Amino acid sequence: MNIRHRIILLVVLSLTAMLSIGGYAVLQSRWNASEVRIVTEGIVPSALASADLVAHLKDVQLTTMELVSAPDAKLALQTEDKLKTDKAALKAAIEQQASQATSDTQRGLVVQAKESLDNYFAAIDDATRFKLSNQKEMAEAALFGAVGEYQREIQSVVETLRIEKNRSKDGAITALNNSLAQTVTGISAAALTALAILAAVGGMLYRQVVRPIGRMQSMMTEIASSQDFSRRLPVEREDEIGRSIVAFNTMLAKIEESSAQLRQKTADIQTMLQNMPQGILTIADGNRVHPEYSVFLESIFETQAIAGRDMMELVFSGTNLGSDLLSQIEAVGGACIGEDAMNFEFNAHLLPGEIEKTLADGRVKILDLNWSPITDADGNTVRLLLCVRDVTELRKLAAEANEQKRELEIIGEILAVSQEKFHEFIAGALKFVDENEALIRQRDELQTGTIDRLFRNMHTIKGNARTYGLLHLTNLVHEAEQTYEALRRPRPDIAWDQEQLLGELNGVRAEVERYARINEVSLGRKGPGRRGGVERYLMVDREQIQHTLQRLETVNTGNMRELVAARDEVHRVLRLLGTESISHVLSGIFDSLPSLARELGKVAPMVTIDDNGYVVRSQAGSLLKNVFMHLIRNAVDHGLETVDERMAAGKPLAGLISLDANVRDGQFQLALRDDGRGLALARIRRIAVNKGLIGEDAQLDDVTTARLIFQAGFSTASHVTEVSGRGVGMDAVLDFVKREHGRIEIMFLDDAEGADFRQFQIVVCLPDSFAVRVDIGPDARDADLPVAEKALQAAV
Amino acid sequence: MAQVLVVDDSSTVRNEVCDFLKANGLTVSAAVDGRDGLDKLKADPGIKLVVSDVNMPNMDGLTMAEKIRGEQRNASVNIIMLTTENSPAMKERGKAAGVKGWIVKPFNGPAVVGSLKKLVG
Repeated sequence: MNIRHRIILLVVLSLTAMLSIGGYAVLQSRWNASEVRIVTEGIVPSALASADLVAHLKDVQLTTMELVSAPDAKLALQTEDKLKTDKAALKAAIEQQASQATSDTQRGLVVQAKESLDNYFAAIDDATRFKLSNQKEMAEAALFGAVGEYQREIQSVVETLRIEKNRSKDGAITALNNSLAQTVTGISAAALTALAILAAVGGMLYRQVVRPIGRMQSMMTEIASSQDFSRRLPVEREDEIGRSIVAFNTMLAKIEESSAQLRQKTADIQTMLQNMPQGILTIADGNRVHPEYSVFLESIFETQAIAGRDMMELVFSGTNLGSDLLSQIEAVGGACIGEDAMNFEFNAHLLPGEIEKTLADGRVKILDLNWSPITDADGNTVRLLLCVRDVTELRKLAAEANEQKRELEIIGEILAVSQEKFHEFIAGALKFVDENEALIRQRDELQTGTIDRLFRNMHTIKGNARTYGLLHLTNLVHEAEQTYEALRRPRPDIAWDQEQLLGELNGVRAEVERYARINEVSLGRKGPGRRGGVERYLMVDREQIQHTLQRLETVNTGNMRELVAARDEVHRVLRLLGTESISHVLSGIFDSLPSLARELGKVAPMVTIDDNGYVVRSQAGSLLKNVFMHLIRNAVDHGLETVDERMAAGKPLAGLISLDANVRDGQFQLALRDDGRGLALARIRRIAVNKGLIGEDAQLDDVTTARLIFQAGFSTASHVTEVSGRGVGMDAVLDFVKREHGRIEIMFLDDAEGADFRQFQIVVCLPDSFAVRVDIGPDARDADLPVAEKALQAAV
Repeated sequence: MAQVLVVDDSSTVRNEVCDFLKANGLTVSAAVDGRDGLDKLKADPGIKLVVSDVNMPNMDGLTMAEKIRGEQRNASVNIIMLTTENSPAMKERGKAAGVKGWIVKPFNGPAVVGSLKKLVG
């Protein structure tokens, strides 16, 4: 049963109860009214009439006595008329009683009264007759005799009737009173019963409607205040309340879903703010930084005090912006926040896109700033969103890339000039620069002769540079020349400023020296280029230079990764200019080994080279060739055994020679070893004694003994072969190396101190400037060395 | 009949703004202070936009804005303030006077012309 039905039931019950009580009361009232009428209109008048009967009887008796005692006949006759009247009244009264008798007792009494009345009236008639016949004594005797007797008789009957009537009246009234009391009691009882039923139904309604609603309301309030939308109200009924609860629960589920989504979104945003490598903040009214910002911002500004800070102070303090610009920026914040979004359009151009910020420790960061408005539904800007990017590294890289581009262009310019002419140009340019410096230093004021000289010198440098197409230099020289030109005018608009002129000149000198340095270091074209007959210089693939330049020109300078890749690539190209791979340098030697081995009756050895990613400067090529020609041929000649010996020793027929190149402890070390019999220490010792290099009884350790081979004139070969012992011994090899500030070490690889043969390696140590590492940069591991080499075709 | 009324006591700013707006196809009239601005506005019902400086002699820009707002017939007139600084009190006053926008000086035409044209209708 639902609540509507319950309420209808309550109303129906109430109406029914009221109607019942009302109907009962009406019925009772009508019945009581008829009872009252019976009593008031029947019983009470009848009782009163019974009292009248006694009075009528007395009237008759008195009239009779008056007649009997009348003094004369005339009066007696008059009295007789009255008597007749009284008698008739008495008779009528008795008849009335007969008709109003309500019980057998009353009716019996009326019959008795009638009989007595007849006798009474007969006795009165007798007495009257005697009186009218003047028999006064007879009349009196009759009066006191029969009349009196019957009068007493009738009187007694009438009295009894009166009493009976009164008793009947009292009874009727009592009955009436009882009936009324009963009515009141009945109505009260009915009303109480109805009240009780209504109270019960009301109580039921309260329990089943009001209480659940109250409970529902308190639970709803609790959920609303706790915001715990995972809770549900129990559904214990199927009425309106039950359906309301189901609807409420559905709503809770929706809210829970929405709030979960909201939570997820908030968490997403928080995660982004926590982890994105971007500085993001929002600026609220009063240029205050909103507490929610990306954590990365802390590493950009190097502070954790960000929330609530003044944007002007956090972002713009210590920047390269002037106070006027700062005040503009400050005003823009005020003009935009809380105003129509249009105001952002009005003023956004005043917000800087890039700033240089000096930190507390003096470091300067270049920050890229990106501004956008956050608008509300009404199109008003509520906050400004500021994305901060630290582009210091990016700008540095771009500058590096630019510098590399310049260098590449300069290389291109230099390569177009023959080495000899270039050398002459540099020497001449430096001479003119020196002369200009001397001229400027001598004068502290403008002099026509001097300025003409200065101008002529600079003009010559410019002319030459232009002739050779050295454009970078030309531009710089042109500026210096323009300054002199300005000073040469009749009324110069600039003053002679020694310091400024020297500064400018130093710029030119630096650029000339830079050209010279690139020529020497990067291109390996030191000197005029004719010395020694065979000119050694690099042929750089112009296409490669063009390609590299293009790579630099098209690189996206806003993309760190791309910029780094381009920089590394160009860096590698630049580093590798003027270098050769070790295998390339020594290839001639390796090519000659098969024929050498054949001459010696040996199988051609296998050669392995591990360059560990190093190449060598072209200048070192000749040295390495000279040194390793000797060392490797020695290894084949003295180290590797003959086929028979190797077979007997259980070694592979082909010997193994390995070369390992690496940079250690600031030295470029090239270690050579072979799998032959080892260093013949006993033999070295014997030869040294024979040649008088050591005494017969000299006690030398193995290392000292081994180093005897570097003594001048020492030769281990038993006979002068075609291979070694051609007068260029190990002493000469050591000499080559020492001239380049290097040394040679012999390092034993076994523990057989004192043995005749010991495994060893010869390590040639050179300054690390001889080596260049190929795989520089993050993508270098994938670098294809042959391709890089292709760019540098070395002409030997 | 002009579309825009430029109010500034500095002839440099006034001319610069006027010339720029004219070059962009708007008809412009100029006033030298707030009082002059009110007179010009009253005389020319075609004006839909007032671009005004804040600090001016005789009557400042905000007072003028308040007086413009006080006239029913000016209901469709938009007001933009040219300013150098921006205090909350100033903004509050401007907002009450129905100031639509704040352009921080220096006036940079190309950046604002689009929005200004929208305000002219």
